[in-house]
Amino acid sequence: MSLIDEDEALIAAALKGSAYAWEKLVKRYESKIYNHGLRLTGNSSDAMDLMQEVFLGVYRNLHRFRGDAKFSSWIFRIAHNKAVDMNRRKRLMTSSPKFSSEDEGDEFEKFPGRTNLEPEYRLVSQELNTRILTMLNELSMDQRSIVELKVFQSLTFDEIAELQDISANTVKTRFYSALKKLKVVSEKENVLS
Amino acid sequence: MSCPKTQYLLHEYFSEDLSAVARDELDRHLSGCAHCNAELESVLLVQRDMQQWQEQSVPHWDRGRELFRREHRAERPLSRLWLSWQWLPTAASLAMLCVLLFNVNVVSNESGFSVSFGGSAGANIDLRASMARFEQAQRDEMQQLVARVESRQDSNNVQLLQAVMEQTQQSTADSFDQMYAYFEQQRLLDLQDMRAGYEQLVDSDYETIRSLQQLVNYVGYQGDIR
Repeated sequence: MSLIDEDEALIAAALKGSAYAWEKLVKRYESKIYNHGLRLTGNSSDAMDLMQEVFLGVYRNLHRFRGDAKFSSWIFRIAHNKAVDMNRRKRLMTSSPKFSSEDEGDEFEKFPGRTNLEPEYRLVSQELNTRILTMLNELSMDQRSIVELKVFQSLTFDEIAELQDISANTVKTRFYSALKKLKVVSEKENVLS
Repeated sequence: MSCPKTQYLLHEYFSEDLSAVARDELDRHLSGCAHCNAELESVLLVQRDMQQWQEQSVPHWDRGRELFRREHRAERPLSRLWLSWQWLPTAASLAMLCVLLFNVNVVSNESGFSVSFGGSAGANIDLRASMARFEQAQRDEMQQLVARVESRQDSNNVQLLQAVMEQTQQSTADSFDQMYAYFEQQRLLDLQDMRAGYEQLVDSDYETIRSLQQLVNYVGYQGDIR
């Protein structure tokens, strides 16, 4: 049985009330969603919140999943929407527009309160991960989301465009800008270290 | 030295739908353009850096298990066994109603059972006679029972009265004994007091007599002197 078929079998069983199937389905995707959230939000507590919101959304809408698309695409679409909502909520809660505008005009879309590293952030054990999070932290939410989908989820530009409801060219431009910015940050990091 | 094609070419480099011809052209340009090549290498290096991400393990959470169980327990359908026997109470009630409505009689005799629907006049008379006999028997039994209860109650009352009287007599005798002892004690105390008073009176009289004798002696002495 392929992974997609297995997903569909688990979904069907969960819809019939099997807690075991639901848990197995969650276990298959929780790590991907959590790490996705960690890279997007930069801290574990927000990543946990995001992951729980995503699975709650999946649970509430499981009966609407028709199997037209892959379950993984569907769940990442939910994750993307939840991340955007969470980012918007956090921006509303901390409304001080003190972000620098040295590069893009959408710099304000960064997760607020991220200029100082949070305790959870410092707790990330792997040095590589810490470095990657530091670099991603310099990107806007749009750029970070595209890098996430392209580099970590291996989506095509067309798929990202459809997911984010923008043109493929815009996706390409943002991706390239993000890589350039990451390059600058990486060079700075290398100089400092 | 910069190249005007860098941005466009690198956009296209990451496209998945680039045709073979365009891909060849791109490769050709990259091999001849140091700037574009360096730019591509640097962004690819960044991409490789990103891909070094190590999966973080998920902190413990309940995976929505409680929510799932709570909601599905509420919606859990009735078991097949219950569904298959659900009609039984209704059918039993209906059968009992039919028995009452159609006045079903089931008579057992030596030849077996006979079932009849509806009541007959003869049967009603027999029923009334048996009801009257039953009522009389019940009445007799009730009277016997009442008589037994009354006699038992009388006996209990007599026993109770005797016990109360015995108790009263005993307490009265005790009271008289106590009163007698008290009076006797008081009488002894009074005798002692009287004796003491008498002795005191005797002593007083003796003193008086002595005084009178002294007075007499004194008067006699004075008479002798004159």
